[in-house]
Amino acid sequence: MNAPFFKFGYFGDDMSLVVAFVIGIGFGFFLERAGFGSGRKLTAQFYFYDMTVFKVMFTAIITAMVGLYYLSVLGFVDLSLVYQMPTYIIPQVIGGLILGVGFVVGGYCPGTSCVALSTGKVDAVVYLLGIIGGIFVFGESFSLIKDFYYSTALGQLTLPQIMHLPYGLIVFLVILMAVGGFAGATWVEKRIAAKGVKS
Amino acid sequence: MKSQLFQMTLNKKLGLTVGFLGFVAVFAGNPYKGSGATVNVKELAISVEKEVDHVSPEELADWIMQGKADFRLVDLRSEKEFAEYHIPGAENIPLATIPEADLLRSEKIVLCSEGGIHSAQGWFFLKAKDFKAVYILRGGLDEWKDKILFPKLAVNATAYDKAAFEKAKAASAYFGGTPISGVTDQSVQPQVALPKIEMPSQANPQAGPQKKKKKEGC
Amino acid sequence: MMSVEQTTAIDSIHVQEKQKSIRVVQPYWNPYLAGLGLGLVLLASFVIMGRGLGASGAFTALVTTGVNAVAPENAKSSEFFAEYLGDGSQSPLKDWLVFEVLGVFVGGFISGILAGRVRKTVEKGPNISVRGRLFFAFIGGGMMGMGAKLARGCTSGQALTGGALLNVGSWVFMMCVFAGAYAMAYFVRRQWR
Repeated sequence: MNAPFFKFGYFGDDMSLVVAFVIGIGFGFFLERAGFGSGRKLTAQFYFYDMTVFKVMFTAIITAMVGLYYLSVLGFVDLSLVYQMPTYIIPQVIGGLILGVGFVVGGYCPGTSCVALSTGKVDAVVYLLGIIGGIFVFGESFSLIKDFYYSTALGQLTLPQIMHLPYGLIVFLVILMAVGGFAGATWVEKRIAAKGVKS
Repeated sequence: MKSQLFQMTLNKKLGLTVGFLGFVAVFAGNPYKGSGATVNVKELAISVEKEVDHVSPEELADWIMQGKADFRLVDLRSEKEFAEYHIPGAENIPLATIPEADLLRSEKIVLCSEGGIHSAQGWFFLKAKDFKAVYILRGGLDEWKDKILFPKLAVNATAYDKAAFEKAKAASAYFGGTPISGVTDQSVQPQVALPKIEMPSQANPQAGPQKKKKKEGC
Repeated sequence: MMSVEQTTAIDSIHVQEKQKSIRVVQPYWNPYLAGLGLGLVLLASFVIMGRGLGASGAFTALVTTGVNAVAPENAKSSEFFAEYLGDGSQSPLKDWLVFEVLGVFVGGFISGILAGRVRKTVEKGPNISVRGRLFFAFIGGGMMGMGAKLARGCTSGQALTGGALLNVGSWVFMMCVFAGAYAMAYFVRRQWR
């Protein structure tokens, strides 16, 4: 078997859009199931009140990571054909910080705001308008920040490459970190809840 | 209370499962196929015979002029030869360094060399390493010079040849070559200087005709 | 001691009271099960398409289309928009991410309807006015738009997808998102708590 199917030409561009729609439905469904259609639920993460964001995100990451790892080791997926985004480290640091601030101020991230909109959140509509405005401003001022945007290019870089460790070991370490994080997050939630009850 | 107990055990089950999978992963090996290559000889032989992986100089010239950016043009000659002349947009990866070159299996790669032999060898290396889309510039740079840079028109050319020559002239002009008409003896090699390598698409890789639509990423 | 499940249950009772109806609002799923589902969707995307998920790219395509419709010259002259415009042979909206995000709207709606969670409301804490909340939502959205473009992806495209692919830039990005959000959280606490 050869996967990724699209890269092996099993179906064309038009069919890929149908696939996109179906995958999007799955994505949206589970985001909403997790409670990510609610800005209060999402931002509770940043007040240590409800660590669902961390739990869901890292469960998803390790699920996909482990699945992809085993499918590649078994020869089902050609991992080198899965698109790796090139790293531009400083723009990504700054972009991440801005995005994080925007997350807690606005209450959503782009994907979750779509789910929030479908479940009737008026603030998500305004938030999406904000995103569109932000992208517009970015696009219009691109010539000013272009040099910065393309700075510190490191190419397609993965953790096993820079740490000089086997891929499988990194997978294991990420899992350990995530599972440890889940236990820690649950402990923090309980502490905060206990404090809330007392006060 | 009962549901909570159930949930606790479920979470623990999930945690144990993923912990086990992660532990096995440490010993399960590298997901990227290593440098040891496996060759499907039959498949290779068929694609060699069918010549499906050849790109003619005209096709390549068309791609470059249209600003197509979905392929990487790899020049397998030595650095010195590359410095003297290369096709605009080409990158130099001498044949010996091909195994550790930074090429992706998902990329469309066009190989070129002086003639066709080194390209064919490079093609075989890459195919053996499971690269999906590797092409050879037919006839190499020799044919490129012949067909694109210095297209010739014989005195006794047919109307069809003339039409083709008109088209070739445009390509030649784009790449800074010199069309030659009225050639009586096809075997005479004209002594014309190779164009300088400051090409429009070469000067600035971010500008130029490279207007690839963003296809992936967020 | 109050567990998350209980707080969620209380939240839903609260919601029920507000809407003064007898509709049953189901609690959210166990986060690990929802995460597992999300991870399998992401894995399916890797296996079928050879690429991950995304969201902000779809809005870039939308903005590009808008700018191109109003001022085509402007769109072509901006290198950023030109990249999304491609050679102009097809609309930037005929894009993988655009269709994926359309699916996200539909999927979110399906889940919301099934759980009885679709209701017109403004998400906010008790200490802020609706107008104030909408103001912050717009500002936050704007920052999100710019940050996502600078970082070449948002939480789905970078953190989730790149995280699963062990991409260095994505992991650094993810740390920075949490750092930025935690650093800012205190200053906007009245919005949520």
